[in-house]
Amino acid sequence: MPRYELCVILKAMQRPETAAVLRRTVETLLERGAVVRSLESLGERRLPYKISKHDSRHTHGGYFSVDFHASPKIVSELLDHLERDIDVLRPTLLKKDPELSQAQCCGAQKKKSKY
Amino acid sequence: MFALSFSRLLLQALPKQPVTPRATAQCIRSLTSQQEPLKKGDMPIKMENPYKTPPKTCILCNITVDFKNVQLLSQFISPHTGRIYGRHITGLCGRKQKEVSKAIKKARSMGFMSVTLKDPQFIKDPDICGIKHFE
Repeated sequence: MPRYELCVILKAMQRPETAAVLRRTVETLLERGAVVRSLESLGERRLPYKISKHDSRHTHGGYFSVDFHASPKIVSELLDHLERDIDVLRPTLLKKDPELSQAQCCGAQKKKSKY
Repeated sequence: MFALSFSRLLLQALPKQPVTPRATAQCIRSLTSQQEPLKKGDMPIKMENPYKTPPKTCILCNITVDFKNVQLLSQFISPHTGRIYGRHITGLCGRKQKEVSKAIKKARSMGFMSVTLKDPQFIKDPDICGIKHFE
């Protein structure tokens, strides 16, 4: 099964509410037959730009990353479900590529001095 | 033409006459001094060139570029406009420049990095690109 990474930005909420959102997200994943590998918190920080979602403008959000294995068929349904969730500001699903072999990096370009 | 080559062949065929060395001053010096016997263990030892220059690498060689690593990616954008610097400024190799560029665009669309500016907490970071800004 291909490996996916779901990077989701949640609304800035209190701890129990954030936990509830994460819980129902992971449950949706498990319902559709995904194997969740890990769930990491990337911290609650100020958004780089104001995001308008679900009739409100947000400046802060909590960043979370879910690593999982799933069938490619559930991808579109999952994104649809996350877009509808009011507490999720920006869901992004990425495919995790296998690590490229560390081939020799070619020599550096000649730097032209800028005036 | 044929005559020339024929004469050359003849010269090659004939046994070469031994050339007697002319006795110059340098020659006499070498003739009189006692020659040291050749030592068998005196041959040069085969080893890798110790003065070899290290292979040229770009600064991001063997470093994985991730869209989550906003601090690293912010070093390759302008602090005034947030635009990605070109290859001639960053000095990265082709592959790494592409990776960085792709990661920055990914981070921008996913809500990790700003588009028009550089995050204020990363402005004081050391300058990799060496670009002179108009003061």
